[in-house]
Amino acid sequence: MAFNYDKYLRVEKMPTLWCWGCGDGVILKSFIRAVDKLGIDQDDMCVVSGIGCSGRFSSYVDFNTVHTTHGRTVAYATGIKLANPDKYVVCVAGDGDALAIGGNHTIHGCRRNIDITFIVINNFIYGLTNSQTSPTTPQGMWTVTQKAGNIDPTFDACELAIASGASFVGRETVNSPKKMEKLILQAIEHKGFSFVEINSNCHINLGRKNKMASAMANLDWIDDITVSKKKYDAMTPEEQLNLLPLGILKQDTEVREYCDMYKEIQEVHQGKRAKLTQDDFEKKI
Amino acid sequence: MATREVISTGNELSAIAAVDAGCTFFGGYPLTPSSEVMHVISDLLPKVGGAAIQMEDEIAGICCVIGAAMSGTRALTATSGPGMSLKAENLGLAQMAEVPLVCVNVMRGGPSTGLPTRVSQGDIKQASNPSHGDYRSITLCAGSLAECYTETVRAFNLADRFMQPVIVLLDETLGHMHGKADLPTVEEVKAGIVPRKTFDGPADEYHPYECGPTDPATLNPMFEGYRYHYTGLHHDKNGFPTEEIETCRKLIQRLEDKVMAHQDEIELNEEFMCDDLTGEDGEVLIIAYGSVSLAAKEAIRHLRADGIKAGLFRPITIWPSPAKKIREMTDKVKNVLCVELNIRQYTEEIERASGRLDLEGLYKVNGRAISPHEIVSKVKEVF
Amino acid sequence: MAAMVAPENTPVWVDTARCKACDICVDACPAGVLSMQQEPTSTLGAMITVIAPDSCIGCGECELVCPDFAIYVAEKKEFKFAKLTDTSKARQEAIANNGYRIPADYK
Repeated sequence: MAFNYDKYLRVEKMPTLWCWGCGDGVILKSFIRAVDKLGIDQDDMCVVSGIGCSGRFSSYVDFNTVHTTHGRTVAYATGIKLANPDKYVVCVAGDGDALAIGGNHTIHGCRRNIDITFIVINNFIYGLTNSQTSPTTPQGMWTVTQKAGNIDPTFDACELAIASGASFVGRETVNSPKKMEKLILQAIEHKGFSFVEINSNCHINLGRKNKMASAMANLDWIDDITVSKKKYDAMTPEEQLNLLPLGILKQDTEVREYCDMYKEIQEVHQGKRAKLTQDDFEKKI
Repeated sequence: MATREVISTGNELSAIAAVDAGCTFFGGYPLTPSSEVMHVISDLLPKVGGAAIQMEDEIAGICCVIGAAMSGTRALTATSGPGMSLKAENLGLAQMAEVPLVCVNVMRGGPSTGLPTRVSQGDIKQASNPSHGDYRSITLCAGSLAECYTETVRAFNLADRFMQPVIVLLDETLGHMHGKADLPTVEEVKAGIVPRKTFDGPADEYHPYECGPTDPATLNPMFEGYRYHYTGLHHDKNGFPTEEIETCRKLIQRLEDKVMAHQDEIELNEEFMCDDLTGEDGEVLIIAYGSVSLAAKEAIRHLRADGIKAGLFRPITIWPSPAKKIREMTDKVKNVLCVELNIRQYTEEIERASGRLDLEGLYKVNGRAISPHEIVSKVKEVF
Repeated sequence: MAAMVAPENTPVWVDTARCKACDICVDACPAGVLSMQQEPTSTLGAMITVIAPDSCIGCGECELVCPDFAIYVAEKKEFKFAKLTDTSKARQEAIANNGYRIPADYK
């Protein structure tokens, strides 16, 4: 059971700069275990992170790593992947990075179904910059930009990913490290755009001003608002309103991956095959 | 030097040049009048095993190019003024992280949406510092169809030499001009490719950002056994974020000095019919660049036919500016006319470099080209 | 699997250089093996301590939930773990109710 995380860590960077009890560390561990189980060579992996606490993720792991501008992980990753289609590219970003400023790139990464794994660490707040509202901060909670109570509605990131065309979509929480590890493993293994939302605790920012100042209280709240997909699907809309389903929410292994399709484009221009037409695609619209 | 004659447009020539110079990745977004660069390269790159992708917006366009370049490829994007504005933040990351790439800007009427299908040279100032913070932009300006090709090639070599983005300015006139260009052969271009320096020692002795105070970083391609970190934050010799005082100071100073200490490798000018300018009364020095220089050259032929000794000084590398040369040229001649399709954007730099505030100017911002006749009339009017 | 060999005869061990005293492992342990202790020189004035190694059942929860790579559990084949007893459960409850510190009157 004692796992040698140090093999995959930049150990001179330990301890992490994340707050005591921050879920980012637990996600990092699950990610490392998943990569190890898959037997991926450290040289074959690139981890791209955004701006925020989760942005420091890439500096802690001993892979090829990139720390981008706010919201642009998927765009950078698309270039890295398309130029190196046989390598593994994993994006890590927070809820603000992926869903606010980065929303457009998230949508189009999903749409292209390019073989990238996107781990979105949703702690329901802007943590690093101290408690501004994020697209997933519940209405009525205290944030530093809406001290009278947040009026901004939220949306379901996984539903956005599904609608945008990601072929693998799943959600887990930091309360279940083993399930997280399994989901991340399946996401990396899946050929296509894998969107993985991990609900995490930011008790220092979100929690402290919203009645969950300890890591355990914040983690309990995450438990309260999540439920397995199986149970969720059997519920009424009223029951579903305040719950997020966990597990694999979508998995399509038939739809074509972007780099694979691009290989065909290369073949067209090299005279090896005829031009693509609508007949080559099941989806005509 | 062997040449071949090609009939094409400026945009197409820039795309062809990129592929000849070893570019294997393009990312971009349609923006008039640069879109043809993307259209053409979208067919050329997959043919040679490269990749071209139309992204969802201008920002994604530059980001995927930076990503590809970080992974080790020569990468290109093409845009116009509004796109440069959108790309600014990430161009800054490429400057900070020292990522080589080429960004073609086919200038159009601005500001804002401006005149999408008409010419201007309104992005000169922007090119010197498109992104916030301290660094030195390298900006080249093509002044002929052939230079749309040769300057794009030069840009890739400069980008790899100095490990930063290089901006190549075209304008709508040149981008869409269809005509004859005498180009170097492909063999010559390929023989002239100088790729980025790489480190081939043991991985634990590799420090990408450890270098002399006037050197660029040495950034090995990804996935080859050298694992390091890229960030837009101030960083240490291994690429990791730091706030340490000396490290930060040295880093920013090096971004400045790596360019300015080697300006001789970047500077390129043309002196057209300047040899017989000796400082007598009645001589005129015209300073112009880009497509305007074509009209200026024709104007000079007319002026000389009318007995007026006129010459053209044309910076090809716009930034960093050839300040010493500008000073030298303007010291020689009493009458200087600056001609630009903007309001004094480069004139202000010429004033700074020359120390003179008595320069005449011909400026046009209505989206139309300046004709040789307009330049001839202006010279006769003011001098 | 990237395996880390356990120190001899040890069910669970900690890296105090990395621990931030967040309490999560102490909360996760079912057997009252762990406790925070006052430590003025560290981040939250506290540090993780293995107070009852003989009670460790080897469930590995502490290692899984620690965000800071600060606590590790031996493999089942490396160590003969204990079974969960009522005494262990009671001690765990006492610790959890005492702010994750071992109560002063605990024996």
